Amino acid sequence: MDSGHLYWGVDCGSTQIKAVACDNEGRIVEQRIGRTLFPLMEHVRQTLSAGDSGLSPLTDDQQSVKENHTLVATGYGRNHIEFAQATLTEISAHFLGAQELLQLDEPYTIVDIGGQDSKVIEVHDGRVGQFVINRKCAAGTGAFIEDLAHRLEVRLEDMTDLARAHDKEMTLNSYCTVFSGQEVIKILMHGERLENLIHALYASVVQRILEMTNIITGTVVCSGGVMNYNPVLLELFQQELPDNKTRMVENAQYCGAYGAALFARGLAEKQAQKFSQSELRAQSAS
Amino acid sequence: MDMKRVMRDYFLDLDQAAKDPDRKVAWCTSVGPAEILRAMGFEVFFPENHGAMLGATRVCMETIPKANAFGYSPDICSYLTSDIGAYLKGITPLTKAYGIESIPRPDILVYNTNQCKDVMHWFEYFAREFDAPIFGIHPPTNVPEVEESHIADVVSQFEELIKVLEKMQGRAMKPEDLRRTCALSKEATDLWAEVLETAMARPSPLSFFDSTIYMGPIVVLRGTEVARDYYRVLLTDLKIRVAARVAAVPGESKRIYWDGMPVWGRLRSMSELFKSNQACVVASTYCNSWIFTDFNPDDPLPSMAYAYIKIFINRNDQYKEDYIRKLVDEYEIDGVIFHDAKTCPNNSNSQYNLPSRLRKDGIPAVIINGDLCDLRCYSDEQSSTVIEAFVETL
Repeated sequence: MDSGHLYWGVDCGSTQIKAVACDNEGRIVEQRIGRTLFPLMEHVRQTLSAGDSGLSPLTDDQQSVKENHTLVATGYGRNHIEFAQATLTEISAHFLGAQELLQLDEPYTIVDIGGQDSKVIEVHDGRVGQFVINRKCAAGTGAFIEDLAHRLEVRLEDMTDLARAHDKEMTLNSYCTVFSGQEVIKILMHGERLENLIHALYASVVQRILEMTNIITGTVVCSGGVMNYNPVLLELFQQELPDNKTRMVENAQYCGAYGAALFARGLAEKQAQKFSQSELRAQSAS
Repeated sequence: MDMKRVMRDYFLDLDQAAKDPDRKVAWCTSVGPAEILRAMGFEVFFPENHGAMLGATRVCMETIPKANAFGYSPDICSYLTSDIGAYLKGITPLTKAYGIESIPRPDILVYNTNQCKDVMHWFEYFAREFDAPIFGIHPPTNVPEVEESHIADVVSQFEELIKVLEKMQGRAMKPEDLRRTCALSKEATDLWAEVLETAMARPSPLSFFDSTIYMGPIVVLRGTEVARDYYRVLLTDLKIRVAARVAAVPGESKRIYWDGMPVWGRLRSMSELFKSNQACVVASTYCNSWIFTDFNPDDPLPSMAYAYIKIFINRNDQYKEDYIRKLVDEYEIDGVIFHDAKTCPNNSNSQYNLPSRLRKDGIPAVIINGDLCDLRCYSDEQSSTVIEAFVETL
């Protein structure tokens, strides 16, 4: 394979577009982020061209991928990225990213909280076993945190510090964002401290995830943008899973995009092998 | 035989029967005693089939809210809410498909709670609405095994039904008529079983999404020559496809079992999704539900009672688990998809830990959330991600 070849993963999520490029060795050489806005392709192109390096996988007309680049899309918008050479689900993308970044030999469980869904992915023997995605409701996702932050008129970046300043453990019961909103208002009407309420909100997110499936592996790996932006979630997971080794994957927000980039590298390798085999066959035939 | 023609002829004849004072129409649940009704000279309409049409055409998205507003909860059977809502709005997909103005007025409604109790509430509404007699068969439910006492119980209920029908028709049931409808049903259902079994071939000549269409006659035309003849032709055609290795999913690489109801409004897109992932749904609990190989024309009532109690949906969880394991083995299944249909808990078998029990023995299983008709309970994006990811991991 061409040593200058770059492999791009584009994770088109519900709130953000993440792009990662890696080289033949799997080293990350570029990472970019943009908001998921519409028309989608315009914003995907912008994200891919936004780096200081001026490096872009796209041809000048921005309609296709340059020859020495391979691009794979993942995330909810994966099937809408017209120039992607392949697609991969977020489940496999997060697994590939986490596996490469952490190089774990033991079975582990990836917990990925995304903007509109949450996933729990069990990994055994270096491959995905069982996985679960949250049910229809938004509870346990980034959308739930954002919605309640908005109702409480608290900036998202202040949420973790406020939660850490809690002095009381409380429970929010509902599965449903609307019902939870009503619970929140009722609690505030009773004069509860905002810090306690925000802590309860995060605790409920963790609870919703732990209700999705039994975590049976000793190691839990946290991934995804919501975990990245809300580090208190990791602390709460550690608190809830005292017997497990809980760790955050570095650069968690880009883990899915990185996984897709690694998949692009594998794809290019396969194509190169196919090509060299057919060349070999052609040579031997002649 | 052309499927569209078979179904059109059936509905047009039913429409004629409803308008003819000399003919009588019975409404029947999909796994109800159609053979008795046909032996007694009734034309038979199946509201669940109508519900599936409302789902497949997505007209239900206008009609379900109407039934909800009328007082039928969004959490109950969406066949029921689709159908009652359509009636309240005065619409039916039969108009666009066959030029039929409305569903046929029932002279009697006959349900069997072997599948669920929502059918009872559904038929009770229409019995009130049309001021028509209603008869319910209430077999023992969730049985581990079918016992003699269960059969005797249901046979006595069939006998009561026959008395009601005899009174309506002013004549006694002729044993040879019941033997005949039972024999025709048996032939059709045996052929249907063979049709589904052609999917054991690699590659499979048909997928679940084809079968949900092919199953029309076995649901609505049991006890008739038409159903038998249709499946004879279909089976011959499928055998030719097997011999020629014609694949329903070109490049079939994964074989899937589908448990639960179809998502009627997404048949095409689901079929495309599986195709694009080179995965073929080769077996399902749903399509197998109309296999009644135990029918015996020489002993019609007890054998029908046995067959209708024995159906998958009416059995306990251990039976269901054993059944799925057997099919996983026979059809060389790579993974099982459970459709957890929001409004059909009776036909959603993922809710009592069954997927976990299968996984424990190395059978990959995954759950998608959705519904048979109500697309408010379904997310295209989430379901396709789960299905694609599942196939990626197999």
